[in-house]
Amino acid sequence: MHPRTVADVVEALRDASQHRCRVLVVGGRTHIDKGNVSEADAELWTTQLDQVVAYEPGEMLVVVQAGMRCRALSDLLAEHGQEWPADAPPDATVGGVIASGSSSSRRLRVGALRDSVVEMELVTGDGRIVHSGARTVKNVTGYDVHRLATGSLGTLGVITQVAVKVRPIPERALTLATPGDLLLASAIASEVPLVASVLATPDVVEVRLEGWTDEIDELAAMVRRLAPDAAPLDTAAPFPREPWWTWPDDGTIVEAALPPSKLGPTLTTLKRYSALAAVGLAWIAAPTADDLTAIRGRVEAAGGIAPAIRGPGGLGNATPAAAADVHRRLRHSFDPAGILAPGRAWVSA
Amino acid sequence: MHPRPNDSLQPMADVDAARRELEAALGSGAVLTDPLALRLYARDASMVEGECAIVALPTTTEQVQACVSIAAAHDLPIVPRGSGTGLAGGATPIGDSLVVVTARMTGIVEVRPEDRLAWVEPGVPNLDLTNHLRPMGFTFAPDPSSQQTSSIGGNVSTNAGGPHCLAYGVTSAHVLALDVVMPDGSLERLGAEGPEAAGYDLRGVVVGSEGTLGVVTRVCVRIVPTPPAVRTMLFGFDTVEACAATVTSIIARGVVPAAVEMMDQGIVRAVERFARAGYPVDAAAVLLVEVDGTEAGVAAQTREVEMAAGDNGVSSVRVAADDEERALLWKGRKSAFGAIAQIAPHYHLHDCVVPRTKLVDVMRGVYAIAERHGLIVTNVFHAGDGNLHPLFSFDRSVPGTLERVLQASDEVVRLCVDAGGALSGEHGIGLEKRDFMPLVFSAEDLNAQACVRASFDPDGRMNPQKVLPDGARCGEFAVAATGTGEATPDAAGLPEGSWI
Repeated sequence: MHPRTVADVVEALRDASQHRCRVLVVGGRTHIDKGNVSEADAELWTTQLDQVVAYEPGEMLVVVQAGMRCRALSDLLAEHGQEWPADAPPDATVGGVIASGSSSSRRLRVGALRDSVVEMELVTGDGRIVHSGARTVKNVTGYDVHRLATGSLGTLGVITQVAVKVRPIPERALTLATPGDLLLASAIASEVPLVASVLATPDVVEVRLEGWTDEIDELAAMVRRLAPDAAPLDTAAPFPREPWWTWPDDGTIVEAALPPSKLGPTLTTLKRYSALAAVGLAWIAAPTADDLTAIRGRVEAAGGIAPAIRGPGGLGNATPAAAADVHRRLRHSFDPAGILAPGRAWVSA
Repeated sequence: MHPRPNDSLQPMADVDAARRELEAALGSGAVLTDPLALRLYARDASMVEGECAIVALPTTTEQVQACVSIAAAHDLPIVPRGSGTGLAGGATPIGDSLVVVTARMTGIVEVRPEDRLAWVEPGVPNLDLTNHLRPMGFTFAPDPSSQQTSSIGGNVSTNAGGPHCLAYGVTSAHVLALDVVMPDGSLERLGAEGPEAAGYDLRGVVVGSEGTLGVVTRVCVRIVPTPPAVRTMLFGFDTVEACAATVTSIIARGVVPAAVEMMDQGIVRAVERFARAGYPVDAAAVLLVEVDGTEAGVAAQTREVEMAAGDNGVSSVRVAADDEERALLWKGRKSAFGAIAQIAPHYHLHDCVVPRTKLVDVMRGVYAIAERHGLIVTNVFHAGDGNLHPLFSFDRSVPGTLERVLQASDEVVRLCVDAGGALSGEHGIGLEKRDFMPLVFSAEDLNAQACVRASFDPDGRMNPQKVLPDGARCGEFAVAATGTGEATPDAAGLPEGSWI
């Protein structure tokens, strides 16, 4: 199914619900592996729903159809000196990034991506169009259905349109790289104010600074006091230098989330990871099933979760979602026929 | 006393039975049924007057669970309440309800700077938490103007904002996890101490749900380092238009200030008499701007903000030289609602949000509405977020005044909605605005919201009649869950004067 309009989505889902045809909602396929194994009879591609609906830079909001690629959105916003700081693969769709509950590498500074979603148009499993939120930067008007759809892995409906908050691209950005570990990364994150990100790999710490020109000099000096070997990277280099989607295709990558102070003890001796100090997110390579089991054991012991974001492994079952009955009722309300990727999300239908 | 659907099955005596069970569970000092107490807890800071049967003041999560279970056993609706500073009637009880007050749960359980979080009980006043964190170099960013009194639990239930949410985000961006006593009496932890949790984001939907999905008994808040430098500026303008245009210019220069607050002449004059903050009383409007960051970052932002003000013909500029002056400038803004008591004995405050670029049009519209109805209106608002707080001052005892205020209020809401805005930026819907919900949502949208609510609370026990208007129904789910076709009780008539 390749809907071109919201009406097409409505029709496709009504039809699918009637015939109990199980549907997998697909955007840019960059997060397709996230979620538990789910059998589907058909795919619904959102990629032709790719239009800009409204953009007024002065509002610091952009409204787009969900199938728009992140690259296209970045290009549009950059013309006006703004960005949606998703730090997602360029081929990912805006809706896919939201539905998969993806996180930004600069979460320390820009906040959780879920908080940037202020309005949504969602088509439920049985083909009802539901709007929630508003095109304003703050809003307490009724229940935020869009918060439930964010991270729902396409199991509550098809996201067809969103309004997201955007921010000015900082006057200057600089990445410093230094040999070091999570201990150093944590020290930098707590000592250097307003740092955009401190990302630790097993042997290098990348420090991302963003702000006003003079401010960057001031912050870089603070970083060097803690890490005298910190050297600036080419300003054209992406941050992070090697995001998870550029890693070798070898086994599973998990996106672990745990209290930040537990990152160090949890990741010690692991061969490949990128961890966000003071945030508690880590992308970790698990080449074999045994590796995956071991990593999940550690993360869960630290009170975290470790869903696979690429490769086999699903969400991991050791940490059940809270309030299972609420999950079941929500699922039934928004997808009465149970056709949207049954079993993919944490709680089965 | 209004009828509930199963009144005929539930004799009045159940209130007495419930009271006895509550006294056994909480102790007699924590259960109030005397007429004075019932009267006190019959309203919040809105002007909606309600009624209740029992007031419970639990001090532990277990006691809250007992309250919820006992209420369920006796079919009493539950109305959660914090400090009662809500302005939309969200904590105003209706009928034979049990008010569960969390104000005695005031423990700051633990602060973990290494994890950038703190666990607090819901009754902790917002400002107490801020003061507790300050010596550690951290802050809890949401700072509603009521922060001396309003509690963290109340902030969670209304997804509270405040002046600093422009740069830092509203309450939901600062809540990692919640311990919630669910409507069936079970205890669930929604969210996690880490940045993401398993399952749908139930935490996100409970924040801002105005006590309709459960009772929050513990909150894991995100704490952020206090910025090393801050600067506060006050600009006076000869026209409201120039003042509002400056907000747009600041944003266009790539500055996202920590706060941008706008006050018109009426409110500035009232504040000056009250706070003596040195605001320019001749200006048509003033803009209070705060930037924070590193020393160099603050200097750069200050320069840009001053240029933006200059481009729009600013008539007076004052930059706070020290913390004392900064506190004085903020005193002016934060005492606005105290100050307006001098204008007239009663006020009605609005809380609409509009797109930032529509501020001037909407303000002009608000002035025109006030003039048409012969009312005094002053404006103080979070200009950076497009969150207006037009405030009608009046004397209720003058015949016909209340009716005019009601009519004007209705027109203000419609004006904001027509400008592409939302009904509430930070106060919530409660009782006051629920009947406006169809202005911004379709029947299908509202039914979906009813489904969210019914998924948490199939029996419709939590804070009934709030947020959603009559007629919002979760058809699909109700049939599946109860077999009776009705998930929420029919809303009966609201108490008289529930509008203001």
